[in-house]
Amino acid sequence: MINSLLRFGLIFIILVILQVLMFNNIQFSGYVNPYVYIMFILLLPVEIPSWLLLMLSFGTGMVIDFYSGSPGMHSTATVLAGFVRPFILRSNSPRDGYEPGAQPSMLTYGFRWFLLYAGIMILVHHTLLFYIEVFRFADFFRTLLRVLLSSLFTLTFVLIIEFYRKGR
Amino acid sequence: MRSLLNFLERYNNLIIFLILEGIGIYLLATRNYYHNTRVVNVIRWVTYGVEEKISNTRNYLNLRQINENLAAENTALRNSINRLARNNNSVFFSVSDTIYQQLYQYTTARLTSNSVNKQKNFFTINKGTRHGITNDMAVIADGGVAGAIVGCSENFAVVMSVLNLDFRLSARIKSNGYFGSLSWDGRDYRKAILSDIPQHVTLSIGDTIETTGYSAIFPEGVLVGTVIDFQKPGSDFYSITVLLTTDFRKLHFVDVVANKRKQEFIELENQIQ
Repeated sequence: MINSLLRFGLIFIILVILQVLMFNNIQFSGYVNPYVYIMFILLLPVEIPSWLLLMLSFGTGMVIDFYSGSPGMHSTATVLAGFVRPFILRSNSPRDGYEPGAQPSMLTYGFRWFLLYAGIMILVHHTLLFYIEVFRFADFFRTLLRVLLSSLFTLTFVLIIEFYRKGR
Repeated sequence: MRSLLNFLERYNNLIIFLILEGIGIYLLATRNYYHNTRVVNVIRWVTYGVEEKISNTRNYLNLRQINENLAAENTALRNSINRLARNNNSVFFSVSDTIYQQLYQYTTARLTSNSVNKQKNFFTINKGTRHGITNDMAVIADGGVAGAIVGCSENFAVVMSVLNLDFRLSARIKSNGYFGSLSWDGRDYRKAILSDIPQHVTLSIGDTIETTGYSAIFPEGVLVGTVIDFQKPGSDFYSITVLLTTDFRKLHFVDVVANKRKQEFIELENQIQ
């Protein structure tokens, strides 16, 4: 219990530092803004209570908001991601279901499963985030392009980090 | 109670989700300048149309009130003009002049009945002795003569209209100052007859006719009408047809003019005669 608390605390801190110090500063023609911190929501245990998941999502979003100077923007998107996560996990479950105490990692369930799971989660999160950021439906397709490109980059970074974790 | 708990248990995720999203959106809309502006703009855009409709309707429904207010305001303005306008023949006057007094006092009134199709027309207004109206006060409408008070009760007054065979008015031609007597011949409600203007006076169609200040009833220079026709009958005087400024068929608001020095004027005249 204490062990996993420490582990997730560490993951959280590393991801926030990565996000704030590195990914927030990526300026790639205005279309690519990866938000890798969403990986924290991805990695939480499968059997985590929904209310705790939502609270953690909100807290994560608030911390990122605090560093980005955009109150409410990331928390709204992250809470949505936390809300849909159980549904995605259920509809994407492996043939013999999740084991007790399982973690949604590439090591346990394979590359394809993780790709699908992370892809959908990141897409949901980024869609809401980017549309909230522009807050208008003018330039709808331009925003959509930003969502797709940024999701792709975030997914790439998440997969790289996951590969690194897997190798450890 | 049990079903409520069941409900909460069943939907607790959704409830927590909605609360957290609510907090997020609240923060978004209040703490971010850009998002706040957008939200306010959208709300304004939605409410604007409705508000405009409501405001239009309300304006239309209040037109009567607005008209009465405007009429009252006109009266107040006329009063203040009279207060401020100095005697032009006094060369010296002190700035805080206690001798100068307002000569004419205007009171606005609404018609409660009207007639134009009889030989002796009267109309009734909704102001009476309670509002300081007495007999022999002038009644004007939109700057044109309308009649004179002939009888008043506490709350109403009867006005002898210009369109009355008994009505006589001292009127003059504005351009040259020749004055005559204006009366109505009982035919057309728009036309009156100005008589007693000698035939050597040059006249032309369109000349303005206004009141003289000789009667102590009407103030000087109130519009009566314009000359539309004149004839030279056998006598020494013109018979001038005047198109009246006041349209008695659409008379709704009038101003009653009180001459504050009428009493003094009449007493003096009576002394001499």
